[in-house]
Amino acid sequence: MMRYLRQVLTIAGKDLRVELRTRERVAAMGAFVVLTAVLLNYAVDRTVIHPRELAAGMIWIVITLAGLLGLGRTFELEKEDGALEGLLVAPVPRDALYLGKVLANAALLGAIAALTLGVFALFFQLTLPRNPLPLIGVILVGTVGFVALGTLFSGITAGSRMGETLLPILLFPLLVPLITFGASATASLLAGFPPEEAVYSLRVLAAFTLVALTAGVGLFRFIVED
Amino acid sequence: MSPPTGPTLLEARDLVRHFGPVRAVDGVSFTLDPGEVLTLLGPNGAGKSTLLGMLGGALRPDSGSIHFRGELRDPGETAWRNEIGVLSHRTFLYGPLTARENLRFYGKLYGVAGLDGVVEEGLARVGMTPHGDRRVEGFSRGMRQRLALARTLLHDPALVLLDEPFTGLDVHASELLREVLVQLRDGARTVVLVTHNLVQGLALADRVAIQSRGRLAFFGRPGELPQGEEERFYRRCVEGAPP
Repeated sequence: MMRYLRQVLTIAGKDLRVELRTRERVAAMGAFVVLTAVLLNYAVDRTVIHPRELAAGMIWIVITLAGLLGLGRTFELEKEDGALEGLLVAPVPRDALYLGKVLANAALLGAIAALTLGVFALFFQLTLPRNPLPLIGVILVGTVGFVALGTLFSGITAGSRMGETLLPILLFPLLVPLITFGASATASLLAGFPPEEAVYSLRVLAAFTLVALTAGVGLFRFIVED
Repeated sequence: MSPPTGPTLLEARDLVRHFGPVRAVDGVSFTLDPGEVLTLLGPNGAGKSTLLGMLGGALRPDSGSIHFRGELRDPGETAWRNEIGVLSHRTFLYGPLTARENLRFYGKLYGVAGLDGVVEEGLARVGMTPHGDRRVEGFSRGMRQRLALARTLLHDPALVLLDEPFTGLDVHASELLREVLVQLRDGARTVVLVTHNLVQGLALADRVAIQSRGRLAFFGRPGELPQGEEERFYRRCVEGAPP
């Protein structure tokens, strides 16, 4: 078990080290978040509606779109000099490889989600809750659910010439519950309602995340093995 | 060097593998004893790399089985992968990482004990110590392949699978690789070498296999080839004429 965990952490650590060095994905995702927030800020007519009313849904849409930019390239580096084959011939269970990738993607997207919250708080004059833990919990659980599914589908589309186009088409329909309940819980918490109001949405998010992780662990081997 | 006798290390039984309608490997069977070097020859598209992919565990056979140290290999298990090292014309290395970081990464995946020392030994073995802290993306093809060789041998595998390892190498890198391959013939390691180069392959081989259209047209010892007519024999094998 310890060896399994070490392998998961080694793979995640490698992915994060490569990302810190190249900053390919995080720069694209970060720039996307900031630019989209600026555009949305100007796109909303404040005489009709205060942007705060729309913020929760927008935050989740932006996190999802930014995440797709990054997730689409999860396996790009593994393809460059046959590195994926190197991982497949190594004594690494396929699910450890999957969980390592999920962990690295979750760390990246977690940082992007934090940036998204910060940028929207700035442009949309959001008042963050005094106790931010419930909001952090909602964002964290939703982010893990998203990358659990996204990493699996990124593996599927990585072998295709149309991979980056195909990924959102396959993934978006499955993300509807995540965005719906993530936005609902976020809206409730940003509006200052007690955290108990968001418990149902958080439970649905947690169930979604659990199902996505279970599916990924079970199916990843069929995706990466020839 | 005559290989030591002992229980069979690797046995392939009636391996078959398709890619769509193409039967890339068609009923291949052979055995290898510990310490033997098998040179696998054949033209492009003969199924050599597919066969090697199955032996290394990157590909699953459609039918047939692979036995390692007398036991049926379970693709779901990972323990037997610790005993196999794979080197192909693709290096499996990460460009943004340094040479040392690449070796450390693979060393951790293989659970190599005393990793720092093993990594330094590996770098020294292929003459890459001065370049250990440089990123791989700045390396020449020869330097990458030397580092890939260090990666392959990092966990001291009992079975080494080499798929066209000389492809794209300059003279210096080819010479170094040849030296390391000669060192590998130490009786402790079994090697399968896939190559187009008949002379190079025969010089290193204890056993020779010639694969054509997915099948093994010949499997035997180099001495069983007609002396002085190896090239003609090889051509007849791959053209499908009875040798």
